[in-house]
Amino acid sequence: MRCKTIEKWLSDRIDGELSERKIKSLQAHLERCPSCRSYAAALEKIQDEARSIERLEVSPSFWEEFTSRLRSDLSSKKQEKRLERPLVKRWRWAGASAALTLLIVVGLYFLLFFEKPVPEMYVFSYEDSLAQIYREIGRDPELETLFNLVVLASIGESLEGAGWQDSAGFQESSLLWENLSEEELKLIESEIKKEEKIEEESHEG
Amino acid sequence: MSNPMKGSMADRSDDHLVDLAKQGDVEAFAELARRCQERIFYSIFALTKNHQDASDLTQEALMQAFKSLKTFKQRSSFNTWVYRIAVNLTLNFLKKGKRDGARQVLDESLSWAEAKEDASPSPEGSSLKKELSRKLREAVDSLPLPYRASFVLVVFQGMTHNQAARVLGCSENTVSWRMHKARKILQASLNPYLEGR
Repeated sequence: MRCKTIEKWLSDRIDGELSERKIKSLQAHLERCPSCRSYAAALEKIQDEARSIERLEVSPSFWEEFTSRLRSDLSSKKQEKRLERPLVKRWRWAGASAALTLLIVVGLYFLLFFEKPVPEMYVFSYEDSLAQIYREIGRDPELETLFNLVVLASIGESLEGAGWQDSAGFQESSLLWENLSEEELKLIESEIKKEEKIEEESHEG
Repeated sequence: MSNPMKGSMADRSDDHLVDLAKQGDVEAFAELARRCQERIFYSIFALTKNHQDASDLTQEALMQAFKSLKTFKQRSSFNTWVYRIAVNLTLNFLKKGKRDGARQVLDESLSWAEAKEDASPSPEGSSLKKELSRKLREAVDSLPLPYRASFVLVVFQGMTHNQAARVLGCSENTVSWRMHKARKILQASLNPYLEGR
C-alpha cells in the first residue's frame, strides 16, 4: 500500500510536481525499499529515453511551405469574410424588418380584438366585513353573542358621538328599517315588547 | 503593397498581436502562428506519428483559431488556447479513426525513420539502446489515448501538469494520475529492456 503511494510520488517528482515535504518522505522510503528504488531507476531511464527520441527536426523548407499555405488560407478566409459581410448585413436588416412588422401586426390584433377587462370598483362594505367575521366565529354562540354586544356598543358609541339623542331617534329613521325582512321585523317587535313588559313590571314592583 | 507594420510584428507581444488579429490583421495572426506552430506540430506528430496528418491538423487548428478569434477572451495565453484547439482536433481525429490503416503503417515507419535520422546521432548508441528506443516508441504509441496525450505534453513538450491540464481541459490531479498510470504501463512493457541497460 505504502509502495503504491511512493510510485505515484516518483512520477510526480520526475515532472517536478512533488512538494519538498513529500520529497523528504520519499527519500526516506527509497533508502529502505529496494523495490521502489528499482522502480525509480526504471522511470528515470524511461524519461531520459523518451526525451531523446522526440528530438525530431523538420527541415526549414517544410516550415516555409507550411507558412505560405497558412498565409494563403488566412487571406482567402479574410476575403470570404469581406464578401459575406454585406450579405450578412442585408440579412440582418431583413430579419429586423420582419420582426418589427410581426410586432406591429400582433400589437394591432391585441389592440383591436381584445377588450380590456374593466376593473371592478371596490366598495367597502361593513356587511361584507361582518359576514367575514361571522364566518370565522363559526357556530360558537358564546362568541357570537359577545361579538354582537361589541358591535352594538360601538354603534351606540358612534350614535352618541353624533348626538342621536337630540334627534328624532334612530328607530324612526327609514334607513334602519327599509332593508329588514319580515322575520327580522317580527323579531325586533317581539324583543321590544319583551323590553316594554320588563319595564312595566319594574315600575309596578 | 508592403505593410509598414510587418517589420515590427516580431517585436510585439502576443496580447498586442491578438488585438491586431482580432481586427482582421492577417500578418499579426501569421506572427502568432509562427511562434507556436512548431510546438503544436510536434505534439500532434507525437500523437499521430504522421507528418502529413500533423501538418494538416496544425493548419486546421490555426485556421480554426483565426476564425474564432473573436470568441477568445484572453483569460489564458494565446498559446494555451491554440494548443487546446489543436489537441482537441487531434484527439477527435484519432477517436474517429480517420486515418487509413495502411497509410498509417507506412507513414509511421517513415516518420519514425525520419525522426531517427534527423535526431542528433549518438556516437555511443548501441544496438540495445536502439532496441529500447524502438520499444519505447511502440509502448508510447500503444498507451490509451488520454494517457498518451498527457505523456506527450508533459514529457515531450515539457509542460507542467497545470499547463497540460489547461490544454486537455481536465484537472491537474487528473494529469498527475494519468502520468503515473502511463509510466506504470511503460515500465511494465519495457522492463526486460530496462534491466539489460
